[in-house]
Amino acid sequence: MPEIKLEGIRKHYGSIKAADGLEFTVKDGEYLCLLGPTGAGKTTALRIIAGLTEPDSGKVFFDGRDVTDIEPEDRKAVLLSQTYSLFPHMTVAENVLFGPNIRNWPEEVRVKTLANMLDLVRLTRRSDAYPKELSGGMQQRTALARALASGAEVLLLDEPLRALDARLRISLRYELRSLAKSLGITTIHVTHDQDEALVMADRIAVIRKGKVQQIGTPIEVFERPISPFVANFLGQSNFLQGSVTHVDGMTEVRDEQGRTVAAGTANVEVGERVAVGIKVGNTEITKERYGYLQGIVERTLFEGRNIFVDVMVAGLGRFSSRIPAGRSREFSVGDKVSIKWSPEKATVFRLKDRSLDDELRVE
Amino acid sequence: MPDVEMKDITMRWGNVIAAEDVNLKIQDGEYVTILGPSGCGKTTLVRIIAGILKQTKGEVYIDGKDMADVPTEERDIGYVFQNIALFPHLDVMENVSYGPRVRDVQKPEWERISHKYLELVKLLDKMKMFPSELCGGEQQKVSLARALSTGARLLLLDEPLSALDARVRVDLRYELRRLVKSLGLTTLHVTHDQEEAMSVSDRIVLMRSGRIVESDTPETMYMRPKSIFAAYFIGETNLLEGLIKKTDAAATTVELRDGTLIEVATTDFREGEPVVISVRPEYVYPAVTGIHAVVSSVTFVGTHFRIVAVADTDDRVEFDVPATVEREYKKGDDVNLTIDKRSAIVYARTPGELGEATKLE
Repeated sequence: MPEIKLEGIRKHYGSIKAADGLEFTVKDGEYLCLLGPTGAGKTTALRIIAGLTEPDSGKVFFDGRDVTDIEPEDRKAVLLSQTYSLFPHMTVAENVLFGPNIRNWPEEVRVKTLANMLDLVRLTRRSDAYPKELSGGMQQRTALARALASGAEVLLLDEPLRALDARLRISLRYELRSLAKSLGITTIHVTHDQDEALVMADRIAVIRKGKVQQIGTPIEVFERPISPFVANFLGQSNFLQGSVTHVDGMTEVRDEQGRTVAAGTANVEVGERVAVGIKVGNTEITKERYGYLQGIVERTLFEGRNIFVDVMVAGLGRFSSRIPAGRSREFSVGDKVSIKWSPEKATVFRLKDRSLDDELRVE
Repeated sequence: MPDVEMKDITMRWGNVIAAEDVNLKIQDGEYVTILGPSGCGKTTLVRIIAGILKQTKGEVYIDGKDMADVPTEERDIGYVFQNIALFPHLDVMENVSYGPRVRDVQKPEWERISHKYLELVKLLDKMKMFPSELCGGEQQKVSLARALSTGARLLLLDEPLSALDARVRVDLRYELRRLVKSLGLTTLHVTHDQEEAMSVSDRIVLMRSGRIVESDTPETMYMRPKSIFAAYFIGETNLLEGLIKKTDAAATTVELRDGTLIEVATTDFREGEPVVISVRPEYVYPAVTGIHAVVSSVTFVGTHFRIVAVADTDDRVEFDVPATVEREYKKGDDVNLTIDKRSAIVYARTPGELGEATKLE
């Protein structure tokens, strides 16, 4: 299956930069998630790879071959939209055989392909059903079978799970990924859902404003984010701004109110203006007196396995902590608590002259 | 604020039953969420309360008054849909003041009302912008302000957050609950997202195939669900099949398919009864003894790893280990697993029921 490479892709719609020097490589057989907020340019990237949108400049390579000017139908890259776009007046079988039929494949090849594809997506018994008679998940699998039946080697999935129920979505993550992996097909999956990306991807490319901010394995982008945006978009983070007071294996940062906190190793100098980011899941709250910060519990939000505790810290704002629901009785609104974390779980970001708010803006 | 009561509501479309004998009471100021998979009838119920649909059978009471002959516009309802339906040619202020203006409310008054709600959704600074200049989350907040500016005392929310990005959705949950509670509104919110339901509501009503399956507080629904379907739908869970080996005042022992004995909090089941144990992944721990299993996948999910293992009992068992733990798990590893006996729930097992209970579509 092809390796895909994007080089310096630009696509502007008026003043909107849907792709602004977009570059990344997807390896042969890799499952890559393009993760970012709405409007980041994820779908544009997919459409450019599929050949449905022409970039203003830049090149697309499949296995080292420049395909920028090649027609979509000659790329063997199939884009599956959020809404699946099945032909409503055709049965599952007719939808799946749409490609083979217009290409006039021999009858026995068509029969075999259909049988294989329906088996693969577990729809053999529904081959005569029309799309509207199927559940959302089945429609999605039909669309997938149709894409694969026409010999796709690159699968481009645009929010493939978005239209499905939340609970079903969780179950189908594993299924979709293992299907793609078992076929060895190169897959690019666009999503705005960080949990989905973490669970499904070999690597995640975090996109913002038409550019890749960071690309890496789920562990890399989650544990070693290169920007406040990435730190906050994957796993949600708390931030504190200040200047570096000490660098020695760990980094010490003091905020304007004179509070000193510790964070992990960073390539920064004493006196530099920085932001420290700590994931909400790594932010511990305690009723002990000692911690980096002190605050008052403002609200708690039950999420099932976890509860979210928001703590108002004077002069700093809201710090959130995600703790197991089993500890829910420990804290109530109005409690005085301390906040702490393991320094190596806190990441230091150089701010230079940028504002943290701009760095974090999601929409 | 009004209370709402649905009495024996049934809705049929030809042979299709969208809702059957639904009885539901929502207290004054209560935030209730109807949760269920697509097609379970939850939207139908909201539309019946709004008066957009006329039920086949049964009655709707708002504030004790039968709504049979009361048209939608006289029910004092604010309605927010999944598809954000703002007037594109009107700015934020004009959208929010639309309700009061068509009711001939005078200018100083509709301005005051619109200001109040725009302030509540924190969009005063954007009142001169058009919907297309706002992001999805902001647009939905405008919809909310518009729904409330009509003087609504009962708020109906039909998948209000579904069209938004995951991150924005999570932030808006807070906002929604804060807003509704500060105004003391009676709220009915429909969603298929179990996490959303848990974080916004006072009470969850779980529906399936047109019927209410069970109803309780989010915490009870997650910790002590009464049915296998609820346990499975409300959050992820492991389901282990077995037979009751013995039971006494202290504990119940269940024998799993491979003979492993599992002790859980005492139950009323009798020896020999076929049962299913439901235990959430966060209450399954690696141990020295217990259920033997072989790891089939390890997935990084942020602050922890999700490990899927296949037990000697043929049951699939999922559990989590913190990302900080030193031991590295990999495919093919042998593990022994123990479960938190107080967090496990035992259900009666009837043939075929498990498959039915875990069907999501």
